[in-house]
Amino acid sequence: MEALLIYSAFNGLITGIFYALMALGLSLILGLNGVINFAHGTFMALGAYLAFTIEPYVGFWASLVCAPLLAVVLGLLVERWLIRPLYGRDPLFSLLLTFGLAMIMEDLIRTIWGSVGQPFALPAYLNTPLSGSLFFLTGYRLVVILITALITGGLFAALRYTRIGIRIRAGNADLETISAMGVNIYVLRAANFGIGIFLAGLAGILAAGQLGLSPSMGSSLIMPSFVAIIVGGVGSLMGSVLGGLIIGIASGLTAALYPVAQEVVIYAIMAVVLVIRPRGLLGQEGLLE
Amino acid sequence: MSAVLALEGLNTFYGKSHILHGVSLRVEEGELVALLGRNGAGKTTTLRSIMSLTPPRTGRVTLHGRDITRAPPYRIARAGVGYVPEGRRIFGHMSVHENLQVPPAVSGPWNIGAVYELFPRLHERRHSKGGRLSGGEQEMLAIARALLLNPKLLILDEPSQGLAPVIVQEVMRAIARMKREGLSVLLVEQNARLALQLADKAYVLSDGEVVHQGPAAVLRADTARMEALAGVSHLG
Repeated sequence: MEALLIYSAFNGLITGIFYALMALGLSLILGLNGVINFAHGTFMALGAYLAFTIEPYVGFWASLVCAPLLAVVLGLLVERWLIRPLYGRDPLFSLLLTFGLAMIMEDLIRTIWGSVGQPFALPAYLNTPLSGSLFFLTGYRLVVILITALITGGLFAALRYTRIGIRIRAGNADLETISAMGVNIYVLRAANFGIGIFLAGLAGILAAGQLGLSPSMGSSLIMPSFVAIIVGGVGSLMGSVLGGLIIGIASGLTAALYPVAQEVVIYAIMAVVLVIRPRGLLGQEGLLE
Repeated sequence: MSAVLALEGLNTFYGKSHILHGVSLRVEEGELVALLGRNGAGKTTTLRSIMSLTPPRTGRVTLHGRDITRAPPYRIARAGVGYVPEGRRIFGHMSVHENLQVPPAVSGPWNIGAVYELFPRLHERRHSKGGRLSGGEQEMLAIARALLLNPKLLILDEPSQGLAPVIVQEVMRAIARMKREGLSVLLVEQNARLALQLADKAYVLSDGEVVHQGPAAVLRADTARMEALAGVSHLG
């Protein structure tokens, strides 16, 4: 029983990592760009499929960097030509835009790569369990944990110590004032959008290695990612990561204890959080209550 | 010679309401100009029109003869306008030092070291969150932040607002020093008496129109007129 629980919690942790990476990017984009990016999930899927295509040529490790960067290129075009004209208008406009974009992109993925799910080839040395007793711990899962820790740690350090990071935080609070202080908010918002898309692309590849590829992989991960943001607290990046991990682990444990509730448990957690602490675990006071 | 700042016939709207009705004013090199008027007269809107935060619908804003009307605010800031907004708009969740890292580094005499020398109190409190500073310290931080752009023109919106009289004097001394160092200043104040102590020239706005302009000394001497125009009898 104990082994089963550890195994399920660990499975949940891995799923939670995917939610966390997604939620982090969504939060960044919601904060500075003021856009609820419904296309985030399809950018995630796009990252995975691009990696699937280039991996045979460049190998797994290089695809882990190159594929998200290719997704970022598309993301920057979308930001510049579709989203930028909507800044400063009712947030509903950009929400509808990204919602439509998500459907178009998902169908493009079906058209290019086919609608049937496919496995994502991992290097054999990553895919074998490390030991018999810890059969669920493969090298790949360690890689997922390490990369995510590095990327999120690096992101938080950059937000804290670099000028662009400081400006992103300042702009989250008061975009008009940073603009009047001489900060080019067009470039800043584009860079921030790009960082968010990079995280989505990376999450896509990491998830593909675990769950395989399918055109709808993004849409199935985006809802839990929104839940992660609400649980962690809107406006808190750390909260988004924490929220993702919590709902991932909770859903993993429920899968072992009471499988039929596996899907619903994250929404139950969200409901409880919204009732007890509407701002979310680490959300700012006054934002939602 | 072209003025440091010239506004020509600005008409600015908030939605449908017409706020500024053909406002024109000039700030010459090295001059400190006070922009006075009652609450709601259009003082803040004038500054927001200059910065393009609320772009004017018609009229022209020029900086050293260069047209900056409706340019993006960051371009106007980088062209040499240091803006100290109403209510200071400090980034409250970030430290003093982080607040000072928001503006881009522009070459010139003012850098983070120099503004810490100007306001030693900010250096002492550099690790404190902006939101934990006193009103006076926040005002200094807002001025320091604007100076980092090495502006030719400093525009300040109600720097004395909500400050204790001792602190107000300190802030005014800092502004006077900016002027001595050759900066041109446009100072918006409700407290006319205070602003007129420093100013060379004064404009008075009422209902979005310039109703008086002239040397500051004129209004300084004629208290009755100053009170009638800018409504400051209860202040000062």
